[in-house]
Amino acid sequence: MIKVKNIEKTYRKGSVSTPVLRCVNLAINRGEYVAIMGTSGTGKSTLMNILGCLDKPTSGMFEFDGVDVSKLDDDTLSTLRNKKFGFVFQVFFLLERTTALDNVLLPLIYADKYPTDAIQRAKKALARVGLEDRTKYLANELSGGQQQRVAIARALINDPDVILADEPTGNLDSDSTSEVLEIFNRLHKEGRTIVVVTHDREVAVQAHRILELRDGKLFENDARAKLEN
Amino acid sequence: MNRIVRIFKESCRVMGGNRLQVFIMMLGVAVGVTSLTMMICVSKGAYEQVMDTVNKQGPNLLQVRPGTDKQTGLSSGSREVVSLVEEDVDAILQHIGNIRAVSPVKDRKEIEVKYGAKFTLSRIFGVKPVWAQIRDFGPSKGEFISDEDVSFATRVCLVGQTVKKNLFGDTDPIGQTIQIKNVPFTVKGELQGKGISSAGRDRDDRIVIPITTYFRRLFRDVYLTQIVITIADISKMDETVEDVRALLRERHTIAPEEPDDFAMRTPQDLIDLASEASISLVNLLTGIAGFSLLVAGIVIMNIMLASISARRNEIGIRRAVGAKRSDILIQVMMECFLISIMGGMFGTILGYGGSIALSSLKVAASKVTPLAVAASIVSCSIISLVFGLYPARKASNQSPVDALRA
Repeated sequence: MIKVKNIEKTYRKGSVSTPVLRCVNLAINRGEYVAIMGTSGTGKSTLMNILGCLDKPTSGMFEFDGVDVSKLDDDTLSTLRNKKFGFVFQVFFLLERTTALDNVLLPLIYADKYPTDAIQRAKKALARVGLEDRTKYLANELSGGQQQRVAIARALINDPDVILADEPTGNLDSDSTSEVLEIFNRLHKEGRTIVVVTHDREVAVQAHRILELRDGKLFENDARAKLEN
Repeated sequence: MNRIVRIFKESCRVMGGNRLQVFIMMLGVAVGVTSLTMMICVSKGAYEQVMDTVNKQGPNLLQVRPGTDKQTGLSSGSREVVSLVEEDVDAILQHIGNIRAVSPVKDRKEIEVKYGAKFTLSRIFGVKPVWAQIRDFGPSKGEFISDEDVSFATRVCLVGQTVKKNLFGDTDPIGQTIQIKNVPFTVKGELQGKGISSAGRDRDDRIVIPITTYFRRLFRDVYLTQIVITIADISKMDETVEDVRALLRERHTIAPEEPDDFAMRTPQDLIDLASEASISLVNLLTGIAGFSLLVAGIVIMNIMLASISARRNEIGIRRAVGAKRSDILIQVMMECFLISIMGGMFGTILGYGGSIALSSLKVAASKVTPLAVAASIVSCSIISLVFGLYPARKASNQSPVDALRA
């Protein structure tokens, strides 16, 4: 489903260029649960932004469902994000002063067709993450764990092909971390593709496939072995 | 549900969450629109008042005043410009064909008038009986001055409604004696109430006496302040004006190269003058209103720019979940538009209130007109388009990843 070939990403500021990703190759099949590990500054988030069509690589090819994403225009990328991807971020990125329900409904506002049962779908998504009694709460009235669960419900509302999570437990206590990981496991069992970017071993070992980013390069074979040792 | 409707709802929801910012921006627009509305109402009111005066006078009134438009006539020692005399009136009546009526007018303001212990300063008009028809200013009670009153220069007068109120209160003035410059006059009648003139003068603060009495009993003078003429056939107005001009030039022995020592004014001149004054007023006030709207627009743009900067994450989230650049552009433009329109509505209400207040306080004539609503809708739409576009473009041009990183 996801095919990345020789991707490079270099940030330029004036005359200074900083290479972040170097010749990254990756293929993810439908239904996989993949963790991308690495220490801070190794380019994990950059890779996830590229995989989620939020950013473009400096060079290389990124195919999603057989389509060369690097050739798509901005509007098509927006539609792709809306239909195919669900995002979960470390800092939740919920709209402030907005109810949990309205936050979950947000992707549907930008969908090509607004479903007639939008509210029911949003409530159902919130129920799936155990927040059926928090629909009317404003985002800032919820705990960190609850906010992240709202973000997961928002990621699920459009029934996306892939859930992309960037350090999803980075701001959570251990109880909330367990709850979130439990939700990811459940979603994976339902057949959803999940890509988690993390530096946390506990989070990474939940995945069935672990990759490691070192100095902008991706290594796969020895990552799980290293973790298990 | 249509995508635009969904985005519109989002705009409303976001505005509801930023009430203070929205209120400040609305206030900026409201101030501009208030001045715009008042400007339109006041200029419309002023113009209509002049038109009303012209309509009341009738389209066939010709006024002749001493001096040119630049007031270069002879001076009688005081600053008063002189050139017209009663004999000119007689000559016009004798020699000009297309005339229905003509009356000399002499008036002087702030003349002391007493009734018993009461005292007032009023404008005294010396006229002939026909003046009442020419100016449609007859008595509401009692009688107007008669030809005999003029022939014998009798000391009779008619009082305007303001004079009546000041001197007599609720007492019937007819038959009473008042002192004008210590000369006793018998009140023969009350003048109709006319209200405030387009020049802002109280037309009821006047006393009318026979012209002969004015010159023989009150002031030693011969010069008129005005000759008023009713033209018989209005289609020949221009020719009659030229005939009167030729006659007066001949009587005043004015050489061909010299300018007239009098000025003539037809109702059309008055309309032209009112239009000119109205245009100047509109230009001036449009400038003021335009400037305040410009300031309002800049306020909106600045607050919107600051708001966009503070809302980068929000824009990033929207872009991440699928909002296109155009969705963000439309949302920000809608917010600007709604703020402008709400501010405009608030301003229109304030402007109407202000105009009504100006009218009722007699500060200025104003007319509440739907034109002001149209003008405020148009100007608010322009403000939101012009000043909302830059912040909206700035918001929509952010890449999702940059916006989320902020």
